[in-house]
Amino acid sequence: MRLAFDDATEAFRREFDEWLDEHAPDEATAAAERSGSSADIPGWAREWQATMFDAGWLVPGNPPEYGGRSATLIEQFVHQEELHRRRIYNSFNPQGLGIIVPSILAFGTDEQKQRWAVPILRGEITAALGMSEPDAGSDLAGLRTRAELDGDDFVVNGQKVWTSGAHDADVILAFVRTDPDAPKHKGISVLLVPTDSPGLTRRPFGSIIEPEDLDFNEVFFDDVRVPRENLLGTLHDGWRVATGSLGHERAMLWLSYAQRLDHLVDHVPEALAEHGALDDPVNLDWIGDLVVDANALRLLGYRTLAKAKKGIEATEQSILKLLGSEAQQRASLQVLEAMGPDALDRTRPTGPFHPLHSEHYDASWFDLYVRTFAATIAGGTSQIQRNIIAERVLGLPR
Amino acid sequence: MDFELTDDQEELQRVVRDVASSECPPSLVRAVAEEYAGHPGGSGAEVDALWKTYVGLDWPSLTVPEADGGMGYTAVELVLTLEELGRVADPTPFLATTSQYLPIVRECGDADQRRALLGAVCAGGTGAVAFSSSRGAPTEVRAEPDGDGWRVEGAAHVVIDGDRADEIAFVATTDSGVGVFVVPAGDVHATRSKSFDATLHVAEVRVDGVVIGAERALVGPSVEAAVERARLEAIAGMAATMVGASQWILDHVLEHVRSRHQFGVPIGSFQAVKHMLVDVYVSIERARALCHFAALTLAERDDRAPLGASMAKAAAGDAQRIAVQHGVQLFGGLGYTWENDLQLFLRRAKAGELLLGSTTEHRRRAAEIVTKQAATKQVSPNRTSATQEGVR
Repeated sequence: MRLAFDDATEAFRREFDEWLDEHAPDEATAAAERSGSSADIPGWAREWQATMFDAGWLVPGNPPEYGGRSATLIEQFVHQEELHRRRIYNSFNPQGLGIIVPSILAFGTDEQKQRWAVPILRGEITAALGMSEPDAGSDLAGLRTRAELDGDDFVVNGQKVWTSGAHDADVILAFVRTDPDAPKHKGISVLLVPTDSPGLTRRPFGSIIEPEDLDFNEVFFDDVRVPRENLLGTLHDGWRVATGSLGHERAMLWLSYAQRLDHLVDHVPEALAEHGALDDPVNLDWIGDLVVDANALRLLGYRTLAKAKKGIEATEQSILKLLGSEAQQRASLQVLEAMGPDALDRTRPTGPFHPLHSEHYDASWFDLYVRTFAATIAGGTSQIQRNIIAERVLGLPR
Repeated sequence: MDFELTDDQEELQRVVRDVASSECPPSLVRAVAEEYAGHPGGSGAEVDALWKTYVGLDWPSLTVPEADGGMGYTAVELVLTLEELGRVADPTPFLATTSQYLPIVRECGDADQRRALLGAVCAGGTGAVAFSSSRGAPTEVRAEPDGDGWRVEGAAHVVIDGDRADEIAFVATTDSGVGVFVVPAGDVHATRSKSFDATLHVAEVRVDGVVIGAERALVGPSVEAAVERARLEAIAGMAATMVGASQWILDHVLEHVRSRHQFGVPIGSFQAVKHMLVDVYVSIERARALCHFAALTLAERDDRAPLGASMAKAAAGDAQRIAVQHGVQLFGGLGYTWENDLQLFLRRAKAGELLLGSTTEHRRRAAEIVTKQAATKQVSPNRTSATQEGVR
């Protein structure tokens, strides 16, 4: 154990930092054109993504032909850490880059990699993830959207929901049932469905924040024909892709929780001081708790990273989401209520606006608190996480 | 940050766990507790024998510098060891000797003093520290020069092992600042307090103008800061002890809810039970990580050590609180009996909360450290360097 990474890793960090100093987009340009959803990449950001791709800094763990430099796990982590620290996105289509591309690279054919993965990586097209359905949320394997082979096409019928960014996306990675007679985990396949396919309808709907906060979609499939060549991986073996995709989603997800907790650690004391409430021992108590949570999360994250480097799956991994999402929610609630009437004003920013990032750092305390439910609900609710930890880590009976 | 234990550290953890679980079973702890409660069955001889086992394995000398005859390990190895001993509710003077007395001598003493006093620890001697009162009030112990030596007078409360250690180190005020004065037990009046944790000795100690030689006076301009460093190690050590005791509770409640059947199923299959235990598990992992971080900052003499120690103690406090609460509740009626070993471990976990600053106190300290740094803009833009606040 040591407090710093080794010299080679720190040299890698400096190299990336220096490259960012030189190439990071201009904040004023970025502020003028903001992203509207998780599949809406503004023009400047498309250029930025391609620049990163060409320099091998987009996804450093990838080989050069996919925007990387075959970096080690620790280097990939340091890359993420620097982007988070500087509040820079490498893509305004995070699910495309973080989940869909890795799935295509892991399970796709060479042709699929060229046709879909490379354009998503370069920011030329964007992608959405079609997993959840009205009756398949935490129980994803219960999904019912059907795809039947008809000649060289699949014919897809059914509905997805919570499909982030679908209305702005060019393609949806859709999980569909291809064998209705098989046990529920065994009859699932994965299709790359272009969003301009006839019969595909996207209906964005507002979040709890406001009607104009449009990221979620309902997606309806009405006899949508998808060429057979768009099947990702083996027919009926889509569950493997699903667990793989979520694995990608979770591997370094904790860094974004850590970053949001850091954001609170940085800005809450300032806000309370302005409000004249920082000396209140009640407030110091939960601020102390927030500091403990923020640091513990980072340490547990570092530990999973060290174990992953050795090829060990860390049990700590399972608690990062639970701890990170709930800690963020606890502290956001505390600050909201501690601020009294000052927190009523929705236009009052709670932190600086970072134009190179679409996190809502400048949102009001109310918005920040309400948004924390995205983390305790999406990607496996806190209750499901507790069941999983109880059964898989603590060995309790189902 | 490279936050994984080394192979050597894992090996140490394993050895301590094996030895402690075989040499210090709950039956031994129970015998000590029952003897203290006035019941026949135990004898102090068991604790002495256990201590001799630890000495035979060189555990007390773990963090004594090699130059002073010890093994030269750091606070990281110390907290790993203390967690394991917390897990068996160790009844020996190990905690006070290694996480309080040893650090204060190592940090405050000169080369000759370290060699003499720490050499005695390596040979099996024990020590305790009379810090100032736990509420942070100024110490009531005073010392003044007397011929070639020092005359020490005053009393201190809540001294762990103050009634049975060979040496008591008094943190005292002098006309030239804070000093540490190591008094042989024979010159100290000690009264053991009636604590609810019968296997953890806590005492009131008093010295009535005893004169000690200069070789026992740890004085000088750097002593005040050195005492603070030693105090941080004591806090981290106590936190690790609490994590260990909480881990025992979790392990045994898990065993219970897997085997106890009601309504035809193991009670551990109920979600309400599962979710309680996950909360215990998460709080223990959170506290353990922070204990390791606290130890690492001490080992590397990093500026974040005060924050690290307070975070560790606050998190260990959270962990014991939920482990004790859910532990007793989930054991049901069985947990409400004297016969169940649960009561031995929850006492250790809860006693730790009450010593060296509570959860609330350390949360407040952590908040103050971080908010002060934010206010003075000491947060470096490069959060990855080792000099600023927090883990970042």
